[in-house]
Order: sequence, then C-alpha cells, then structure tokens
Amino acid sequence: MGFEVETVIKIAAYSGGGIAMGLGAIGAAVGQGYTAARANLAVSRNPKISGDIFKNMLVGQAIAESASIFALVITILLLFVSPPSPSLLDAAAYLGAGLCMGFGAVGSGIGAGNPGGESCFGISQQPQAGSQLTTNMLIGSAVCQTPAIFSMVVALMLIFIKFGGAPLTPTWAALVGAGLSTGLAAIGSGYGGGLAAGASCEGIARTPQAVTNVTTLMLIGQAVAQTPSIFGLLISFILMFKSFPESSLLMTPMGLLGAGLCMGFGGIGPGIGNGMAAEGAVRWVARNVEHTNDLMRIMLVGQAVSQSTAIYSMVISLVLIFVV
Amino acid sequence: MGEIGRLSQLIIPFFGHDITINLKVVVMTWLVFGLLIVLGLFARHKRNILPRPIQALGELIVSILYNLTEDALGKELAQKYGPLVCALFMFLLLSNWLGIIPHLEEPTRDLNTTFGLGLIGFIIAHYAGIKTKGFKAYSKEYFQPIFFMMPLNLIGELAKIVSISFRLFGNILGGSIIILVVSYLTFNLLLPPVLYAFFGLFVGTIQAFVFTMLTVVYISVQVK
Repeated sequence: MGFEVETVIKIAAYSGGGIAMGLGAIGAAVGQGYTAARANLAVSRNPKISGDIFKNMLVGQAIAESASIFALVITILLLFVSPPSPSLLDAAAYLGAGLCMGFGAVGSGIGAGNPGGESCFGISQQPQAGSQLTTNMLIGSAVCQTPAIFSMVVALMLIFIKFGGAPLTPTWAALVGAGLSTGLAAIGSGYGGGLAAGASCEGIARTPQAVTNVTTLMLIGQAVAQTPSIFGLLISFILMFKSFPESSLLMTPMGLLGAGLCMGFGGIGPGIGNGMAAEGAVRWVARNVEHTNDLMRIMLVGQAVSQSTAIYSMVISLVLIFVV
Repeated sequence: MGEIGRLSQLIIPFFGHDITINLKVVVMTWLVFGLLIVLGLFARHKRNILPRPIQALGELIVSILYNLTEDALGKELAQKYGPLVCALFMFLLLSNWLGIIPHLEEPTRDLNTTFGLGLIGFIIAHYAGIKTKGFKAYSKEYFQPIFFMMPLNLIGELAKIVSISFRLFGNILGGSIIILVVSYLTFNLLLPPVLYAFFGLFVGTIQAFVFTMLTVVYISVQVK
C-alpha cells in the first residue's frame, strides 16, 4: 500500500464530499415534490387564489431546500479543505463528516416538505387564515431543520477540530462513528418533526381560532420527536471528545464504530414514531380544542414509550464506549 | 477557524484539584441578569392604570406566559409556578438574543448553563410530583408496567434532562458555529446578517419557548 498520507486524506475528503451531497440531495427533493403536488391540488380546488398558493409553495420549498444547502456547504468545504499538519485521522474525520451531513439531510428535507404542502392545501380551503398558515409553516419547517443543523455542527466539528495528537487506532473509528451516530439518528427525527408540522398546518386550516394550542402542541411534539437525534448528538460528542487509549486490537475500534451505528440506526424508528404520535395529537387538538390537555398527556406518554427503544440504543452505545 | 471548540477558562488550583470557570459564560450570564433586572425595574417604575410602553410590554409578557402555565397546570399550581416560568423564559430569550450583538456570546451556548437549567426543571418537577401525589404513589410509577422495568424507567427519566439541555445547547451552538463558518467563507459579506436574524432571533425565540414549555409539561406530567 504505497499511499501517502496526503493522498489518503484527499481520497477521504472527496468521497466524503460526494456522499454528503449525493445523500443530501435525496430528502429536500422529495419534500419539495410533495409540496408542489399539494400546491397543484390546492390550485385545482381554489383557482382564484392561485397567486397566494404559488407564493406559499415557493417559501415552503425554499425552507425544505435548506437541508441540502447545508450538505452543499459541507461538500464545498470538504473539496477544498487542506489540513495544516496532515495525519491519517483527518481522513477518518472527513469521511465521518461526509456521512454525517449526507444522512442528516435526508429526514429534514423530506419532513420539511410536509408543512409546506399542507399549508398550501390549507390556504385553498381557508384563504382568510393564509398568514397564520404561512407563519405556522415557517416555524414548523424551521424546527424540522434542527436535526440537519445538529448533523452540520458535528460535520463542521469533525472538519475543523484538530484530532492529530490522538492515537490512530481506536480514534479513527470513533470519528467515523461520531458522524454515523448523529447522521443516521437525524433521519427519523427530521421526518417525524415534519409529520407534526404538517398536521398543525392542516389543523389550523380547519380551526383557525385554535392556532395557539395547535402551534404550542406542535412545538412540544416536535421537540420530543427530536430527542433521538439529541441522543445521537450526545454519543457523537462523547466519541469525538473522549480520549481513547491506544490499542492494537481490532476489537476496540469496531466497538466504537458499533456504538455510532447502534445509536444512529436506533434513533430512526423512535424519531418517526414520536412524530406520528405528535401528528395524531396535533391533528385532533384542532378538532377538539377543549381536550388539549388530555391529548397532550397521552401524546407525551405514548412518545415516552416509543422513545424507550432509542434509550435502549443509547444504553448499549454507552456500554460499547465505556465498558467493552 | 480555530475558534470552534475554544473556551476562555480561568483555572484555579485548589488543594490539588483544579477548579475551572468558563469566564466568558459567567460574565455573559451576569450581563443577562443585569438586563433583566433593569427591564423589570423600568416596567415597575411609575405604575399606572394607563401603562407606559415598557409597562405594557412587561404586562404582556407576564400575562401570556401566565396563561400558558395556567392552561397546562391549572389555576392553583399556576400561581406557584407562574413566576418561575416567566423568569425562565425571559432569561432564555435574552440569553439567546445576546449573540446578535458583536463581541457578546450567548450563555446558552455553554452546556453548563443549559444543563443547570434542565436540572432545575427536573428537580422542581419531581418535587412537585412527590408533594402532590405523596412519595408512595410517586415511586410506584417507576415500577410500571412490570417491576423489572425500573432501571429503564429511571434512565428514561434521566434522559429527559439530557434531551432538554442538549436541544437548547445544540441549537444555539450550532447556529453560532454555522454563522462563524459562513462568515469566514463569504468574507463577512451579505449572508451573515440574514443568518443572525434566523439563528439568533428566530431559532432563539423558538428554542426559549420550547425549553420553557417542556419544563412546564414535565411538571404537569408529574403532578397529574
């Protein structure tokens, strides 16, 4: 294997950049397509206000796009980055950053399309609630981006923090694992947050006077739906900043990689499930405003139960990091 | 670009141990305290039936937050926890907005601040739960649905502190890192003000609200 360190770093940076932009392009496009589809339906229902619907669609799509813009920024950084003191760990960090941002952008992109589409459709049903719907869509889809923002933060940290002094053998796996943990866990949370935001737009169109209750419950539901991606962030931070003793065994790095994968995959399901719970609660609050408190309590208990699998994954990840 | 992950720390040796103080965070936290106290004094100053603008602002903030607390907790408990909720929200709001002023930093960008606030909310929620339900009924909930689920229920409860504090910390730190990197890439032209408006004002407000509401919700889950 006659590769020089610089060559390996370039290989990792280019493939990381490719992964980031390639995967990052998936989510936003699907989300925008959904928004456009709902906007078409809305225009055919209520052609008189097609101008309003069109404007709302563009705003919604612009926000759904932001996840893949994050991926673009990370990709450009990866293509032109050159570390001042190259070491093989930089290669692992760049690959991790690419994986993190690529996977992380998928969920938020698809999710953010949901409120965009539902608000377009809502405007066609309830034109006088148009400004409330647009505001709610802006808030909902901005909160959807949080998992993608977490991924971007981890990716930026992997790119810019110098890990050079750490021993190569377990640390490379820790860095790739850190990327995978936040990136994969962000998929479910981003999509789940989108479900809740979409339901709130639909609900406001149905009952405009319930806007305060619906928006508050949407924010709480989305916040809980993001918890799996926060666990992913926690595992990533531990993997990045804990210093691991050097070891020549293959077992240790595989354990760290496994910790990242465990938390990442384990976070997908609970994120979507929590989003569904929030979606149901938000949808029905709009139809039954007097029972907001009951709906909220049931939503939270249901989410706590659905979340328990994310907690199992976190426990196993922590065991893999600290015990094994 | 070395600013990412760098902190200004004061390290005091104390009988063989090092006490580390994040200086900038402490200064910024006290700055927010000062601003809040000044705002409060101004809002109270020369109170009148016909409110002056700043009194009206104060009444608006307090009444909105108080109503939200009352919706979630009921009238009796809202009187007890309303002031806490108002103080928490206004502290978080001002903290998150502080970053848009040059050379100042959000105290919530430091995990110690958000973790501390999360811990306060957690302790208050569980205190309220024990007080209203009694210790027996309170501790019984950990053995639901079967007794051996106790450790996982306990971890699930502790994970709430992690999630609430990392949510705020991640959003605020993430915003500031993104602003830093984009400003560096665009040579501080055009984009940074828009990003400050989005991450500082918009996301800051939403996250302050989410943190406050989650604290209220945690209390209400424990109480009912």
